[in-house]
Amino acid sequence: MSTTPAALKELRDAYDDRPAAIRRRRAAGAPVVGCVGADVPVELVTAAGALPVRLAGDPARDRAAADRYLGTGLDPAARSILAGLLSGEPELDLLLISNDCAASLRLFYTVRELRRLGVEPSLPRTHLVDVLHLPHRTTTRYNRVRLAETKELLERWSGRRIGESELAKAVRQHDEARRRILALRRLRTADRPALRGEDALVAIGAGAVLTPEEHAALLDRLMLADAGLPRYDGPRLYLTGSAHDGPEVYRAIEAAGYLIVADDHDWGDALAGPLVGEPTLDALAERYQYRAPTAARSSVRVRADQTAATVERSHPDLLVCYVRDRDEAPAWDFPAQRRAAGVPAVILEHRRYGELGEDALPIIADALRTARQNGETG
Amino acid sequence: MARRNKLLASSIEATRYQREWFAGLREAVAGGAPLALVNADAPQEIFRAMGIPYVVNQWWASVVAAKRRTGEYLRTLRENGYPDYSEQYSATSLASVFAEIPDPPWNGLPRPTIVLGDTTGDASRKVFDIWDEQDGIAYYPLESAAADTVPVNWWELMPDQWETVIGTARLDLMVAELEGLVRFLETTTGRVFRESRFREVMALINEQEEWNRRTRDLIARTRPVPLRVDDSISSVMVPQWHRGTVWARDAARRFHDEVAARVAAGEAACPGERLRLMWIGRGLWYDMDFYRYFEERHGAVFVWSMYLAIAADGYIRHGDDPMRALAARFAAFSDQLYRPPWSNEWYLKEARLHQVDGVVHLVGEDARSGWFITETLERAGIPVFELRVDNVDQRAYDLTTVRAAVDDWLTDRVAGRASKKPSPHTPSAP
Ligand code: SF4
Ligand code: SF4
Repeated sequence: MSTTPAALKELRDAYDDRPAAIRRRRAAGAPVVGCVGADVPVELVTAAGALPVRLAGDPARDRAAADRYLGTGLDPAARSILAGLLSGEPELDLLLISNDCAASLRLFYTVRELRRLGVEPSLPRTHLVDVLHLPHRTTTRYNRVRLAETKELLERWSGRRIGESELAKAVRQHDEARRRILALRRLRTADRPALRGEDALVAIGAGAVLTPEEHAALLDRLMLADAGLPRYDGPRLYLTGSAHDGPEVYRAIEAAGYLIVADDHDWGDALAGPLVGEPTLDALAERYQYRAPTAARSSVRVRADQTAATVERSHPDLLVCYVRDRDEAPAWDFPAQRRAAGVPAVILEHRRYGELGEDALPIIADALRTARQNGETG
Repeated sequence: MARRNKLLASSIEATRYQREWFAGLREAVAGGAPLALVNADAPQEIFRAMGIPYVVNQWWASVVAAKRRTGEYLRTLRENGYPDYSEQYSATSLASVFAEIPDPPWNGLPRPTIVLGDTTGDASRKVFDIWDEQDGIAYYPLESAAADTVPVNWWELMPDQWETVIGTARLDLMVAELEGLVRFLETTTGRVFRESRFREVMALINEQEEWNRRTRDLIARTRPVPLRVDDSISSVMVPQWHRGTVWARDAARRFHDEVAARVAAGEAACPGERLRLMWIGRGLWYDMDFYRYFEERHGAVFVWSMYLAIAADGYIRHGDDPMRALAARFAAFSDQLYRPPWSNEWYLKEARLHQVDGVVHLVGEDARSGWFITETLERAGIPVFELRVDNVDQRAYDLTTVRAAVDDWLTDRVAGRASKKPSPHTPSAP
């Protein structure tokens, strides 16, 4: 075993204790804007001189306080985010919630109403960023209006005008970080991968609490260390389905000797694409509308196309669809994904938040064994 | 046992019309007409104006649930690789596309050619995507936008000041969606959209809902309440499915006149009415006797119907531009019922209007704004009983336990409170 490269360790430290990273930032006097979902235009937050941090749930966190308001019928990841907000951790100067999935929107309504009723006074000032995703020009036009509103809101809140140069700089910085996240795929999908799925998840997710420059610099260092990184062998899995805002499931799968060479959720591989490019609100509106497909917001057909493309570039032995309890959209995608994949596929339904479930490894092992017998894997 | 009511004439007529309509629809489809399957909160008005037959998805699910056949349809979905635990209500109809169950309700659902629904729910839009995969069926998705801030008193503002309530961005988007839908339907069905006909449809609906508003107000102020909630469901809902027709407008008026006649004659659901209750949440379609039980025990009558109340408050949109008015009906339709602050504040307003003493609040696991509804009512001094069951999935429902719990609540919290305030009416003897 070789030692963990220093860059990966630094990324992991930021990722593992995201609240601590936020506290440090605030102690240094920088305003922190909490973001829910990958549809908050972080460029505008950065351009307003604040640090955008993406909030994550935590399966180990007690959700009772949040369940009281949200009920238990909602994705536990969103309930966990509310539980974190109610406990005052992390400290935020502003909260922006995007409509990236139904649970986020419900979270927004709940926080807004709790604040209106004065029930939970510790909740931060909160606004909705309603970016939508149907592939139509009419939707772009709507998103453009909402982004202009968000920009004005951030300007009023920060007291700083977001001029062309501020926006240009922020767009460039975030695009640079995105470019490196996309480049990271090469390390995961190599014949003998230098990054396990969990490493990649951590390396990408650390950006949730880092400035884009810090993130890009760490990813650069990680990729420069490529030649000295350990190589991993094992059956290759492509993990689809629910998004993973923590490493638990990846860890459980890879501890059993498998490698997650690809995924397609927006805490992982699907976060980065596409780049914004031009520093304009139009380009931002299009970038967020047409960002990489997710289970929550994309059509079954688009998800199936994405599956085929991801199989093509990552050569998995098996497609594993993980469906978290109360996050059911991925289960509807699965039949079409299975048809599109061209490799064997299994579905793991009713998963508890952050858990792989006892039956999962045998199901995966069985599927791989059957595939080998049928000569379906290489 | 509580006595059964004589059925309302408006209800008998509604049921007759519904049968006749479905038979006609089946015939039209067999003759090659297009058929749309549309969600309840989608702009059916466009189809009405263009003369394209449609079935409301949730109506079909309610028919299936009432016949207790939902489980069989869900099994079909499972057998075809789809989840049987997700979006059960809106996915019931989808099963028919794979295989019809033996001896289906109403001889089964004819195969649609167009499905229409919005993209609110992550899973519910996927159900429509699966429709879209089928030969000869197209899904037209409607974008579903949300607002950062809203005024609270939507029920006062919506009829005329909807532009302020919903906001220009959402309305512009919905108008664009509807214009697109019209072009899509013109192109795929060859049918014509006439503005004059559309105006007529929109006017009929406003008239129909104005009748519902009068009926709701009449029921709210009359003690004892003139009719049982469950007796009025067909009288309200069937015309709602057919809104935009002359029949539906007239049916709403006939229902109003029938209620007015009952009030004039002093007829009451429960002459010994002592407690007025409100039922929030989906109805227990399969257990109407539930409602009777508490009349006998406590003189407690459920006086409020979500179906009538949302018909009264949720649809009326005046304005010179019918397409924008239609957009205003649907751009925020489900916010009215499900999203705070609109939902909870509206339920409180309705509870006060109907002079209710207590609220039974059916909270599914999918609680939406459940906590806020209970909190808002309790804050206003109205006791709430939270009933935690799912009306589609009967397995989760234990009748005896629930009845006992509601019983205790009525005795401990509602009856005591109600007897403390001076009653404006002397209850008549049973
Ligand atoms: S083909 Fe698939 S992966 Fe490529 S952009 Fe389209 S949806 Fe995304
Ligand atoms: S007054 Fe008594 S008998 Fe008459 S309806 Fe009510 S409970 Fe039944």
